[in-house]
Amino acid sequence: MSIVLVGVNHKSTPLAVRELLALSDDACATGLRSLVDGEIVREGLIVSTCNRVEVLTETAAGRLNETTERVIEFLTRANELPRSEFEKDLYLHTDDQAVRHLFRVASSLDSMVVGEPQVLGQVRRAYSIALEAGTTGRILNRLVHHAFRVAKRVRTETGIAANAVSISYMAVELGKKIFDSFAGRTALLIGAGEMAELAARHLVNAGVSNVLLANRSEEPARALATELGGTSVPFSRLTDHLSRADIVICSTAADDYIVTERMMRAASAKRRNRPVFFIDISVPRNIDPAVGKIPNVFVFDIDDLESVVSSNIREREREAQRAELIVESEIMQFQQALRALESGPAIGALKQMFQDIARHEFKRQRNRLGPLTAEQESGIESLLLSTVNKLSHPMLSQMRHSSDASDAEIIEAWRDIFDLED
Amino acid sequence: MRSLLLAVLAAYVVAAIHAVLAFINKRRALQRVSEAALVTGFLLHTGALAADWIIDGHYPLFFLRETLSFLAWTLVASYSLILFRYRARALGTFILPLVSFLVFIAAVTHSETAGSTNPIAVRDTWLFPVHTTLLLFAYAAFFVVFIASVMYLLQERELKLKTFGAIFHRLPSLTTVNEIATSSAAIGLTLLTVGIATGMLWASSRDGRLWHNDPKEIFAALTWLLYVSLIAYRSTAGWRGRRAAWIGVAGFALVLCTFFGARMMGGYHVFG
Repeated sequence: MSIVLVGVNHKSTPLAVRELLALSDDACATGLRSLVDGEIVREGLIVSTCNRVEVLTETAAGRLNETTERVIEFLTRANELPRSEFEKDLYLHTDDQAVRHLFRVASSLDSMVVGEPQVLGQVRRAYSIALEAGTTGRILNRLVHHAFRVAKRVRTETGIAANAVSISYMAVELGKKIFDSFAGRTALLIGAGEMAELAARHLVNAGVSNVLLANRSEEPARALATELGGTSVPFSRLTDHLSRADIVICSTAADDYIVTERMMRAASAKRRNRPVFFIDISVPRNIDPAVGKIPNVFVFDIDDLESVVSSNIREREREAQRAELIVESEIMQFQQALRALESGPAIGALKQMFQDIARHEFKRQRNRLGPLTAEQESGIESLLLSTVNKLSHPMLSQMRHSSDASDAEIIEAWRDIFDLED
Repeated sequence: MRSLLLAVLAAYVVAAIHAVLAFINKRRALQRVSEAALVTGFLLHTGALAADWIIDGHYPLFFLRETLSFLAWTLVASYSLILFRYRARALGTFILPLVSFLVFIAAVTHSETAGSTNPIAVRDTWLFPVHTTLLLFAYAAFFVVFIASVMYLLQERELKLKTFGAIFHRLPSLTTVNEIATSSAAIGLTLLTVGIATGMLWASSRDGRLWHNDPKEIFAALTWLLYVSLIAYRSTAGWRGRRAAWIGVAGFALVLCTFFGARMMGGYHVFG
């Protein structure tokens, strides 16, 4: 048997092609049913997201080319797309490589933004579709569950998903660093730009209690205020509102400073120097950089946020190197589990066969033994079984040993000797 | 009692190492090991102190060895309270290695036998143990103020400069460390005030004088003044942040002078 993975992702293929290849849930299910024939392709699973389309199969030994051919044919048929469009972009991974690839995908090491949490859910979804379609079996079930385990280990043992990598989340993260919790805090939105709105939404989700909106034209502010569960306040009395706000998000089209150092000094004194966190997403800037020199006032403009985000991305990539080590060690563990899975039935069958011989012989000779009590009868049976087990034990453990060492020739020899089914 | 103290040391070292590793790797499992070891160590330590008291026949806070061990015990108690109240685990990374070090010194130091002051002489009064116990707890509280202040300053600096190092993501928030520093300073000052008062009371009952002009007394008075000003400064205009944190750091330097410096300069307070 062999594990084969054929597919494209955001690194191998441009979006224009990926979007043509993408499959709906239903298309995945019907496609899997036609692809898996139980003989050449024995098990199958399709992961289709905006960043990747991958077909994972468990294939009979030595049928690699046929499998690849079938998968390409399937992708051509399912999308009515000439194969020349995408064939050159396809990557093919087999066995350990395929296992490694799936582990990396599930752990979000293969994602565009390393550590993003969605991909694991997408793999879960792909698995449940295949499960429903009945195209997974012994090997893929084991493999996918192992992949979930790897993803969990990577998430808990490395900082791969630790720090915010988008500007609006960054606002929440820095806010937490200053205020610990947002309960009872007030956010002031100056201007109603799209980015400010997004950041405000994140803050509300994170628990900010009050939202104040100040906008030059009051209509859009009022609309957004009802949406966010906040209050619209007059723009002209900004200094008053500043003294109430713990977090200020500013994004207007004004080409001058809206919050000046003098305004903020007054506001800061009024709020007894409690800390204030400014996020200035407007270009040109609306908050005088000198405001940041006031004690306990922290001002972040768009450039500051972007540089923090990119340093967080670098930090994630460093953590990803640690995650790769986890993946490698898990591949070894999976290999071992797989070997046990493969040789387990053969060894079990052999043991069963020996015991059956013993029971059969006992039954054959039973008549010649004359009347026996129930204890005597079970005594003889256990005598026979334990003799058979003791005699076969060294052999069976030798078999297990060679299957752990994946010595294919010896395993084959054992099978030949005892005439075992594959 | 040496063997019991060594067991305490082992538990604290395990707790310290796991706290540092948990801080670096951000692993919950390591933190749990650290906390379990800490609880074990603290219980053994309490037992060791009680055993000392019963066997030696005097309150186990007189010789340097005892003082260091007792100080470590107060630090662990303070850290446990902070852990319980604020879940500020990062403090352990800095407190527990110090605790281990103090217990180590205590374990390798031999009891002074030919001291100029016999513990028997201070045995009759309850004032002396109260005086020393309160002051050691005050020192522990001021150490917490110091650590929290340093954490505040580091983070405030990084927020102002907008460059975040590895340590930034591992420390408690500004609000939390500010709260820890403020409440610890208030508790520490209260303990220090009562501690100094009982000391004076005891001294006056001994030789009729409240004040001996001894270096330890002078440093203690300075320390007291500094923390009073810190509390006053914090309460006058609300959140004081950076400057208050600097006072917290400076205050601890004075505490160190009180604790060690005075010992070296001699005077009335010849012991621990």
